[in-house]
Amino acid sequence: MSQLQLRLLTPSHKTVDFDFLVKGQFLRTPLSTHMETEGISTEDVVEIEYVEKITAPEPEECMMHDDWISSVQGDSEWILTGSYDKTARIWSVEGKPVLTVAGHADVVKDVAWVKRENLTSLLLTASLDHTVILWEWNSEKNKVNARHCCRGHTASVDTVATDPTGTKFCSGSWDKMLKIWSAVPTDEADEVEEPADRPRKKQKTQQLGLTRTPIMTLSGHNEAVSSALWTDTDEVCTASWDHTIRIWDVESGIMKTTLTGSKVFNSISYSPLCRRLASGSTDRHIRLWDPRTKDGALVLLNLTSHTGWVTAVKWAPSNEHQLVSGSLDNVVKLWDTRSCKAPLYDLAAHGDKVFCVDWTENGLMLSGGADNKLYSYRYAPCQTDAGA
Amino acid sequence: MAATGSSTRASKPSPGSESGPGTGDIPRKRCPEPESEPQELLGAGPADGQDDDTDSEESDYSGLEDSGSDSDSEETGSDPDSGEEDGSKEASEETGDEDAEVQTEKNLNLQKNDEYQQDSSDEEDIRNTVGNIPMEWYADFPHVGYDLDGKKILKPLRSKDELDAFLDKMEDPDFWRTVQDPQTGRDVVLSEQQVALVKRLQKGQFGDINFNEHEPSVDFFSYDVMIHPVTNRPSDKRSFIPSLIEKEKVSKLVHAIKMGLIKPRRSQDDSKGRYYDLWASEEQGRVRDLRMHVPAPRVPLPGHEESYNPPPEYLMTPEERAVWEQQDPEDRKLAFVPRKFSSLRQVPAFERFIHERFERCLDLYLCPRQRKMRVNVNPEDLIPKLPRPRDLQPFPTTQSMVYLGHEGLVRSISPSPCGQWLLSGGDDGSARFWEVSSGRCVKKVEVCGAIKSAVWNPNQGLSLVALAVGSEVLLVTPPSTAADKQVVTATERLLSEEVESAMGEGPVIWSNAEGEELLHGIRIKIQHPKPVSQVTWHSKGDYVAAVMPDHSSHLQVLIHQVSKRRSQSPFSKNKGLVQSVAFHPIRPYFLLATQRSVRIYNLLKQELSKKLQGNAKWISSIAVHPGGDNVICGSYDCRLSWFDLDLSTKPYKTLRHHRRAVRSVAFHRSYPLFASASDDGSVIVCHGTVFSDLLQNPLIVPVKVLKGHVVTHDLGVLDVTFHPSQPWVFSSGADGTIRLFT
Repeated sequence: MSQLQLRLLTPSHKTVDFDFLVKGQFLRTPLSTHMETEGISTEDVVEIEYVEKITAPEPEECMMHDDWISSVQGDSEWILTGSYDKTARIWSVEGKPVLTVAGHADVVKDVAWVKRENLTSLLLTASLDHTVILWEWNSEKNKVNARHCCRGHTASVDTVATDPTGTKFCSGSWDKMLKIWSAVPTDEADEVEEPADRPRKKQKTQQLGLTRTPIMTLSGHNEAVSSALWTDTDEVCTASWDHTIRIWDVESGIMKTTLTGSKVFNSISYSPLCRRLASGSTDRHIRLWDPRTKDGALVLLNLTSHTGWVTAVKWAPSNEHQLVSGSLDNVVKLWDTRSCKAPLYDLAAHGDKVFCVDWTENGLMLSGGADNKLYSYRYAPCQTDAGA
Repeated sequence: MAATGSSTRASKPSPGSESGPGTGDIPRKRCPEPESEPQELLGAGPADGQDDDTDSEESDYSGLEDSGSDSDSEETGSDPDSGEEDGSKEASEETGDEDAEVQTEKNLNLQKNDEYQQDSSDEEDIRNTVGNIPMEWYADFPHVGYDLDGKKILKPLRSKDELDAFLDKMEDPDFWRTVQDPQTGRDVVLSEQQVALVKRLQKGQFGDINFNEHEPSVDFFSYDVMIHPVTNRPSDKRSFIPSLIEKEKVSKLVHAIKMGLIKPRRSQDDSKGRYYDLWASEEQGRVRDLRMHVPAPRVPLPGHEESYNPPPEYLMTPEERAVWEQQDPEDRKLAFVPRKFSSLRQVPAFERFIHERFERCLDLYLCPRQRKMRVNVNPEDLIPKLPRPRDLQPFPTTQSMVYLGHEGLVRSISPSPCGQWLLSGGDDGSARFWEVSSGRCVKKVEVCGAIKSAVWNPNQGLSLVALAVGSEVLLVTPPSTAADKQVVTATERLLSEEVESAMGEGPVIWSNAEGEELLHGIRIKIQHPKPVSQVTWHSKGDYVAAVMPDHSSHLQVLIHQVSKRRSQSPFSKNKGLVQSVAFHPIRPYFLLATQRSVRIYNLLKQELSKKLQGNAKWISSIAVHPGGDNVICGSYDCRLSWFDLDLSTKPYKTLRHHRRAVRSVAFHRSYPLFASASDDGSVIVCHGTVFSDLLQNPLIVPVKVLKGHVVTHDLGVLDVTFHPSQPWVFSSGADGTIRLFT
């Protein structure tokens, strides 16, 4: 068997490394032991696939913040980060600070891009002060303007996500609610029933942008909503501390599916390429789910290598097999679902807890954490070519 | 038989012996085998009988050993004296002596011919040369044979008639030993030696006087292996040479078997099932005996009352004795009266011995012959089956987060009711608010002095915490974003209300914080007369109890009502040093732990409802199960006691898993978990299911030892508390860290 492996390796004289796939599993051990452990009979014809080996992601930039980084979202040009110093920051992909978005009264827990049209962009920041603010940013003037202050949550807003069309966004909060908002900036403030005895003066000073109220409030979770995302134009998926992942139909406001786990979910991610949900929990496992199953609670795969809570997971935008995860054990890991025993690469750049990870479409991986640093890694996306 | 009888009769008249030898016995002495003589005599009997009926009748009559027969009766008719019994026969014989003698003489004459038959030929003193022939052949001749010269030996002249014989008998003193020699026909008088010989033979003795029949026997062949052969004869050659004959036989057999002439014996097939092994199912002897052994009932061991000198309390008083005598013997407890003797010598015979033996035999006989199955108990089976810890998940297993920031001991931690925040207070004089999920300290409140106790208000509608600092209790508001705006507003309203409080009256001074402290969030200060060690909230969130441990004062516990700014001292008596207090989660009870016991007071009735007595030496902390019926209690002597209030005031279970003092105990609000923190740096999480079924005892299983804290200054973990909704446990230690285990 090793001879076979050697023969296969000989054509790779162009210093290109290959990874071999046996029945969809990466070959990490000698072929014989692999077949033994996988229970593949030596009598059968085994199809071996080989792909170009993914090169190790190289750390590119390190962006220093003033405080812990709670969230990050990359774009093709800009990187948006939320920080514990109550601000959000915009960075260029090259790592240059562009703008600091200040305005929240408390820690910014999550950030999201809404829309980018030439020079003006819309972005969202969710904060511990119970609000989500929709900002309009003009990249030419480099000025940011708070368009709407979305009020309605009664506890810290932990997650915010924009729908694929960029017209709506959803937010999940510690008050167990999932709220759907309009992301279209208008010039009118929504009516808010204020408590009568609220001092009017104080309200004025706090107001930043026009008040906006939610289109829809979806309740169902028994604990804090920790992560929310759009899987389709009218489908929202949320993960919660009540050990469930729920999928909601936004049009009708009905909960469609419940996937029940056994641990608190910190983060979920959905890949439209492979139609799988990845979840990071307070145990050290990353679990892959099929959101379309009706019976729920069907874990397709367990990725175990972290030693702490998995705080962030993200599927690669261009590769259906790869995902990246960040954990409280200070390590960011790059996974391939075809080798579920061990991650492809451990990125141990952080000196403290990792809170957020992201991919950009132009080949950057981002991670930020409690060491105030945002790291970006360059990786080489490769094409899959199959052999026999 | 007849011969013997006749000879006996002949001997009768002899004065010396009752069974003296008859004259007719003489020829018999010459028999070569003296021992076999009686048999020969017996054999001769019937021959006589055939000869003459009357003879036999007579002999029968005369026979002493003969039992009564028909012929007897005939004679009885003639002789009335000897009719009834053998004993009387003898008497009659002696009386009618003379008749008998006459008959005997006649008998003797008749028997002479018979005697010849028995004789052998080897006579010593033979004067008649006819040889060994039956002498009756000469019965009709006048001679009896021929002498050496060929002349006839004439029979002696037989002129004696009956009368002569009788006269001889009466006159001749040697008549009793005169016998006729059949060969010569002469009368021979036996010598003294011959008579003695006859007598000995009749007794069954050896003829030779000098023969000792009881000589010691010498065993030539004994079981001993001797060194020398018994005989000197060399062993035969054939004894060590293979036998040719045998070889021949064997070869014949072998040949026959080969040729099929001999077939091996076929085992009889028992296809019809005629024979079967009756004992097949029986076990082999010894095993079966052991298995089926039924021991005899044991004799009860003797007690003091059976002693000959029992202690006086075992002796019966006269009343007891009277009662004992009144009782039915079967009802008596003792079967005997204990008695005292000064020495063993004076103990009399045991009169109940036979009775007691009999009773014992009855016991043995009547004892139930029932096999008592010995229960084979595996000691491991006696240990209650505890479920495996992995079946009792979820429970915290690993350390997930460390909250760093405190310098010095972290005395107290408390999570917010929603579970997002954690409050901690320590010796560095700061109270910190942490975000649970990220480990971020979101607010730090500096106070002057070490914080002994920090508790979050359990009411979800209020956002308020209580801190015990020195002799003050501070009510502090958490960061405003930590709660809903309406909650914050409600809290503001509660705190800013102007209440007509009875300030200055009690031992406590309420005051509103001002200036710098207000900016930090400190709202109300409650000044106590003594240092406060613990504060605890009522579940409604309006009352807060403060503990000021003091040996000498009754003013150790104060209950403050926040809404009315009022304080009261519920206890007027000092029951000991108060360690810890707790409000009952459901009912209006108040739990107060002193050094040795936990008292439960009913606040409505204002009375002591229960007092829990653990065997703890110094209680450190208590916690009440959210169901309200169970209390756990940690103590400085390493124990954790679980009290079931419905069951008993004694601990239902005491766990001794910690090696050092237990500092703090806590129940989870919804999961069946409880935890204890100890100075050995570990937190032990136990599963404790409380069943709603009152008959079922709580199930307590230790599930996990959580380690992580570093022991500093001999202090390990100081406080432990559970997350309100998740199965997570927080612990704070002397090393200045707070750890979250999930």
